[in-house]
Amino acid sequence: MPLFLRQLYWELYRMFARKRTYIGFGIFLAVELVIYTLLTLDRAERGMERWIERVAGGFEHYFSALTLAFLIVTFTMIVLGTIFVSLVTGDIVAKETEDGNLRLLLVRPVSRLRLLVVKFLACQIYATTLFWFVGITALIVGLLERGWGGGMFIWAPELPRVTIFEWGEGMARYFLCIAGFSIVYLPVTGIAFLLSCLKIKPAAATIVTVAVVLADRILSKIPLPIFEDYQHWFITSRMESWLYLLYQDIPWPRVLEAWTWLLGFGLTGFVIGWVIFERRDVKS
Amino acid sequence: MLTVSGLRKRFHRDAPVALDEVSFEVKEGEIYGLLGHNGAGKSTALGILLGMVYPDAGEVIIGGRSVQREREAALRQVGAIFEAPAFYEYLTGWQNLKVLTAYSGGVDRDLMAETIAWVGLEKRIHHRVGTYSHGMRQRLALAQALLPRPRVLILDEPTDGLDPEGIVEFREQLFELRRDLGVTILLSSHLLAEVEQVCDRVAILKAGRKIYEGPCRGLARDGALFRLATDDIEGARRVASELGIGFGAEAGQFLIPETVEPADFVAALVARGLRVREFTRLEATLEDLYLEVSSQSR
Repeated sequence: MPLFLRQLYWELYRMFARKRTYIGFGIFLAVELVIYTLLTLDRAERGMERWIERVAGGFEHYFSALTLAFLIVTFTMIVLGTIFVSLVTGDIVAKETEDGNLRLLLVRPVSRLRLLVVKFLACQIYATTLFWFVGITALIVGLLERGWGGGMFIWAPELPRVTIFEWGEGMARYFLCIAGFSIVYLPVTGIAFLLSCLKIKPAAATIVTVAVVLADRILSKIPLPIFEDYQHWFITSRMESWLYLLYQDIPWPRVLEAWTWLLGFGLTGFVIGWVIFERRDVKS
Repeated sequence: MLTVSGLRKRFHRDAPVALDEVSFEVKEGEIYGLLGHNGAGKSTALGILLGMVYPDAGEVIIGGRSVQREREAALRQVGAIFEAPAFYEYLTGWQNLKVLTAYSGGVDRDLMAETIAWVGLEKRIHHRVGTYSHGMRQRLALAQALLPRPRVLILDEPTDGLDPEGIVEFREQLFELRRDLGVTILLSSHLLAEVEQVCDRVAILKAGRKIYEGPCRGLARDGALFRLATDDIEGARRVASELGIGFGAEAGQFLIPETVEPADFVAALVARGLRVREFTRLEATLEDLYLEVSSQSR
């Protein structure tokens, strides 16, 4: 196995060997089940029924496993996505520096850049695994509740209109969205990683990242004309780009523009973090 | 094998100097000790040696490679324990070694097993590190430092927290490493007795400055140290002063220069009517040397 892959493998092995990983994944599953329970309460289901009947017709057809899974994933990611990604990435350098693990790694003949690249990539893979875990478990919950087949009914405030897909197309769009989360959450990884490279407590890296994303979200939603011209500068506005994948005709140029921006933002966070870390003395 | 020249380091503008023009050289196959109080600059020096701390000035050359300019090439020859080794508690000893050695290009399974057996951890290597005692962690730390085979071993307080049996065993292991593998060893410690038994030469650091470099057994001082038992120590000190004899760290100790015959000193004491109950030559210990050079540099 090439050396870089071996280093990445053992970094991932280490991350997935932690009990905290499974507690985290368990919490996601618990939140999914809570959201599922809320969505299938009589009152909520009747509301959905009235709405779907009015907009698309055929509640039984469109309130499918995919629709249910989509709602579960969306709400779960809103509640926990940023927090968990910040927690994992905010810890990756700061916690190891604080605990002293990094000292054992840095006495090895490895450059700090390579070490950070391994850790950053491991965080991305870890987050991607989480997104797929959420996506697949939400779909399993949906399938157990509503069975195979039907349509997909999607509405989100950021979408221009209600979108409906049939089963095959809906399934493809669903998994495309799950894959898209990996890029969408890159800025969160970038900010948390940058902060993790500073001489701060790991918890501070996580809290500041969540605070930045939250503040960005609030500012981007303020309905003032002055903010309209600056929408494209808000991280969270760009992060909503995954919803483009649910348009009837996916606006690929807009998707690519947004994802290039997100990728650039995430990598900028990494580069600034690396430059800071490269100049640091590592000593207790 | 390892040359340290002109190291200077101050962590902040307002902070006291951590290292001030520190230079020393460790020859191939030598066991070299770096001594000093807490805060003397030992860990800073080792941090610079390992490329973890950037010096304000100076350079470290290991096996012909500069740590500051070719860090990876220089460290390829080095195994190290820097400050308290912190392993991943939730992984086994074996998994920890795999994670760490992946950053050294990986290690052959047989070499790993052999090293683990050599440090005496083979029975517990597949248990979680969280269940290890302090001594076992130190053994694991030594194992990771030895993988893959280094030419230079840099050890920061390696016997810290070990029980007496552990210290003796560790000492034997260092001798074995030098004898069997020709490893050059640089270790820092504040356990003087331990360093004295292990090291060929030492450097003593104080407030970031090197105040002594040389052998660790009494060759440094000008003269020999004697202990005198008499009823009138003050009188004896007056006689000693007249003969140009110095004093040791304790009241009854006298440092007799080569120009004075010890027998003449005793004769002078007796001539002044002092009763000499005991007059013994003391084998100078590293502790004496340490205290002596420390007090001289005040």
